[in-house]
Amino acid sequence: MAEATSVNREVEELEQKQEWWWAAEKKRSKRLDYLRKAIWKKGCIGGNYNPGIKVDMEMPTLFTEMFFSDGVKHEQRMMRKAKSLAHVLDNLSIFITDHAQLVGYAGSGPHTIAWRIDGASMLNQEVYNEPGVHSEPEEETLKRVSELSQQWAGEAAIDKLANLLDPEDAVKFMSGAIGWGTPSSAVGYSTKDYEYILTGKRGFEDIIREIDAQIEKAEGKTIGKPGPDILPLYKKIQNWDAMKVVLEAAIRFAKRYARLARIVAENFESDPKRKDELLRVAETCERVPGKTPRNLQESLQLDHFVQIINRLEAHEGAWPARPDYYHGPYYDKDVNVEKKLTKAEALDLVGEFLIRAYEVGLFLPRFAREGLQGITGTWVWTIGGVKPDGTDACNDMTIALLQAARLVRVSNPTFGFRWHPKVKDEVMRECFECIRQGLGYPSMRNDPVLVQNAMHWHGHPLEEARLWVHQACMSPCPPTKHGNQPFRMASATANCAKIVEYALNNGYDNVVGMQMGPNTGDPRKFTDFEELFQAWVKQMEWLFSTLVRTVNLGRYMDPELYGRPFLSSTCERSVESGLDITDPTGERGNCWITAFTWVENVDSLAAVKKLVFDEKKYTMDQLATAMEGNWEGYEQMRLDFVKNAPKWGNDEDYVDDIMLRCLRECARFSKEIKCPSGNNWPILPENVSGNIHYANIVGPLPNGRRLGDALYDGGISPGPGLDKKGPSAVLKSCGKIDHVADGRAFLLNQRLSPMQLQGEHGYGLWKAYVKTWADLGLDHVQFNVVSDQTLRAAQRDPEKYSEVIVRVAGYSAHFVDISRKTQDNIIQRTVQGIG
Amino acid sequence: MATCKDCKCFFILEGNSEKGDCVQRVVDPRQAYFKAKPVETDQDASNCSSFQRSK
Repeated sequence: MAEATSVNREVEELEQKQEWWWAAEKKRSKRLDYLRKAIWKKGCIGGNYNPGIKVDMEMPTLFTEMFFSDGVKHEQRMMRKAKSLAHVLDNLSIFITDHAQLVGYAGSGPHTIAWRIDGASMLNQEVYNEPGVHSEPEEETLKRVSELSQQWAGEAAIDKLANLLDPEDAVKFMSGAIGWGTPSSAVGYSTKDYEYILTGKRGFEDIIREIDAQIEKAEGKTIGKPGPDILPLYKKIQNWDAMKVVLEAAIRFAKRYARLARIVAENFESDPKRKDELLRVAETCERVPGKTPRNLQESLQLDHFVQIINRLEAHEGAWPARPDYYHGPYYDKDVNVEKKLTKAEALDLVGEFLIRAYEVGLFLPRFAREGLQGITGTWVWTIGGVKPDGTDACNDMTIALLQAARLVRVSNPTFGFRWHPKVKDEVMRECFECIRQGLGYPSMRNDPVLVQNAMHWHGHPLEEARLWVHQACMSPCPPTKHGNQPFRMASATANCAKIVEYALNNGYDNVVGMQMGPNTGDPRKFTDFEELFQAWVKQMEWLFSTLVRTVNLGRYMDPELYGRPFLSSTCERSVESGLDITDPTGERGNCWITAFTWVENVDSLAAVKKLVFDEKKYTMDQLATAMEGNWEGYEQMRLDFVKNAPKWGNDEDYVDDIMLRCLRECARFSKEIKCPSGNNWPILPENVSGNIHYANIVGPLPNGRRLGDALYDGGISPGPGLDKKGPSAVLKSCGKIDHVADGRAFLLNQRLSPMQLQGEHGYGLWKAYVKTWADLGLDHVQFNVVSDQTLRAAQRDPEKYSEVIVRVAGYSAHFVDISRKTQDNIIQRTVQGIG
Repeated sequence: MATCKDCKCFFILEGNSEKGDCVQRVVDPRQAYFKAKPVETDQDASNCSSFQRSK
C-alpha cells in the first residue's frame, strides 16, 4: 500500500514536469514494462541500423532454396511462390518472448530484420554493402548473402520489370531525383480485405472450403463443352491450389507456436501463472487462423498472424489496420458481457498488440531509411470513424488503444483518428491526452470529408467508403472486396519541388546533370507570370506521367513478376476469381500520387509573380543567374524573396490563390491519367521525412531556399517559421482548399504549446481548435506538443530523453532517432498559441 | 555419432517420428525467450555447440 502511494506520488511529479515517458514506465504493468523494453529498435538513426540489429538469413535462405529447387522451379508463378512461402512457414525458427501472450515475428530472432530477397537486385547489393548488419561470423554471412543474391540476379521482380520499361523512363525513375518507391508488390504495402477475414465469419479452414468449391465448379467446366470461357480456368485452378498451399501452411505455422508454448509450459516453466498463460497461447494458436476467433486474445492473434505472414511474403512498408472496429466486439464480449477479462488484463493484451507491431523490422534501402528516419515503416492504424450505416463506430477498444498507447509509448504503430460530429466527449478526451502527452498521435482525420472524398475520386459506394482505413500515412482505402488495394501505387511519389525547379530551368536538372523534364522555354525570356505557370503545368504533367506510367506497368505485370499467394488467399475477390490479388481485375482503384515537397511550388511561384512580374523589382534574367549560383553573391536578393514575398499559411489570397490554381491543375490532370483499373490518380501532399532526404537533391528555389537547405515539412504545412499570423490564419489558408475535389488528402503539421494545453482549460482550447478545423472542412491535422526546451535538452542529453516522441510527418518517431537536421526542422516549426 | 534425438533440446513431432524441434532458451541483451527450430531426428549433432546429451 505504502509502495503504491509512493509510486503514485512519483507518477504525479513526473506528470507535472511533463516527463510523460518516465511516468508511463511507472504506470504500466510489469509485463508491459518488460515487453516494451525487450524490443530491439529496428528504426534507423541517421540512416544506420542500431548496433545488434542483424539481417535475417533464415527466411531468404529457405525461400531461395525452395524457389529454385528442381521440384518447384517449373511451376507456374503463384504455385512456385506459394510453395516457397510454405517452406519458410514450416521451417523458420520461431520464438516466444518471456511474459508474451501474443506471438509471431517476421524473422528468426527478435533482433533480426527481414530481407526481401526476391524484390530487387539493387536492394540485395545494399544488404551486402551495409556495414554492421551481418551476423557473426561476418565473412561467412557475407559469402552467403553474395551467393543468394547471385541466384536472384535478373530474377528479382524489379530486375525483370526494368527490362520492360522504356529506357528513358527507367533512367529518370531510378535517378532518385523525381520520386521514390518501387513499382512492385515486393516492396510496398497492401490494404487487406478485412471485411472478409476479420469479421468473425470465416477462418482459414472455411476459406479452404470456399476454394475447394471454386475448384470443383471450374474442374466441372474444364471437362465440359470446349470454348473460350473455360480457357482461363486452367490457370485459375492452379492459382486456387496455390492459395490452399499457403493457407494450410499458415495454419501449420500457428500450430508450431502452439507446440512451442506447450513444450515450454510442460518442460521448462515452473511458475503456475505463466504456465497457464503459455497454455492459453497454445490454445489460441491451435484455434486461429484455422478457425474463427472466440475472444479478444484470439482475435488479436489472428490479426497478428495475418500481418506477419504477409510480411514473410512481401516487404510491407505500411500497416493498414482498424483494430477498434474489428477487435472491439471481442473486447466487449470478454470485458463487458462475459467479464472473463478485467480492464487491466485487456489493457495488457492491447498494449502488447501494439508492441508486437513495433517489434517488426525490415531491411530498407538507404533512400527509405533516410526518408523514414527512426521507423521501419509507416504503421498508421485507423481508429474511430463510423460504421457502414453512419453511426459512431467508437467503442471501448478505441479507448483501450488510446490508453495503451500512452502506457507503451511506441513510435510505431501510430493512430489516425477518424473524427466525426458524433464522437463522444470521453473519446475526444482520450485522443487529447495522447496528443497532450507528446505522442504526436492520433492525427485527426475529418471523416465526413474523407468519406465524400473516397466517393468523389474513386467511386467507392457510401457504405464501403465508411469502412476506410489509412492505406499508409494518409490515404483512405476501404478494406473490402472491390475496394482493397494490394499494391503500393504510391510508388508514384513525386518530389514536387522539381516541378518549379524544372519550369525555371527549361526541364534541365542541374543537380543530377541531365535533361529530365520537357523543354518549356528559357525562363530568362518569360515575359509574364502566365508563361511561367504554363511551364509549371507542363512539367507537372510530365513528372506525374513518368511516375504513373512506371507504377501502372509494375502493377499490371505484378502477377507474373512477383505475386501474392497469401494475400490473395485472404481476399474475397481473389478467392472468388482465382486471380492473383495484384491483378487489377475487379479492383475499383484507389491510387494517389504522393506529393512530397509541394508547398515550395506555391511559395516560389508567388515570389516570382510578386517580385519579378508585379513589382518588377528583379528581372527573370537576374533570378535565373541567382539560381544558377545557388544564390551565392545574391544574399540580399535572396532575403527579399524570403521576407518580402507572400507565403502560404497566412490567409493571404495572393499566395493562397496560387495554391488553389496549382491544385486544380493537378486535379484536372489526375482525371486524365488512369490506373490499371481505369480510375483516377489524385494527388496527396505529404512528406514523411522526404524534406530532409531531398535537401541535397532539390536545387535552389525562388522561395529563398538554397541547395542543401531542408525543405518544408510537407503536405500543406506552411514553411517552418513562415506562418506568422497565427493558427487561425493557417487554418483559413488551408480551408480555402476543397478537401474533397482538390486532391486525395492534405497533411497539416501544427505545433502547440504544452504549457497552453495543461488541464481542463487546455482541453477546451484544443477542442475549440478541432471544431474550427472541422468547420473549415480540412481533412487532416496532427500535432507536436513538446516544448523547444525539452527538444533542445534532448539534443544535449539524448540518453535522458530517449523516449521523447515527435510527429515527423505522416508518422511519429523517437526524437533521438532522427537526424540533427530533421530535429532542427521540427524545432523551427512555429509553436502556435491557440488561446 | 550424436544425433538430435540424443539431445535434451530435442522434442519429437507427434505423428512424424523423423522430425522434431530443437528448443533452446536464449537470453540476449534485451530479452529472454524460447526458440524452436525444426530439425530431423537423425540429424548429425556432433558439431552442434548447443548439444546436451539427454539422460
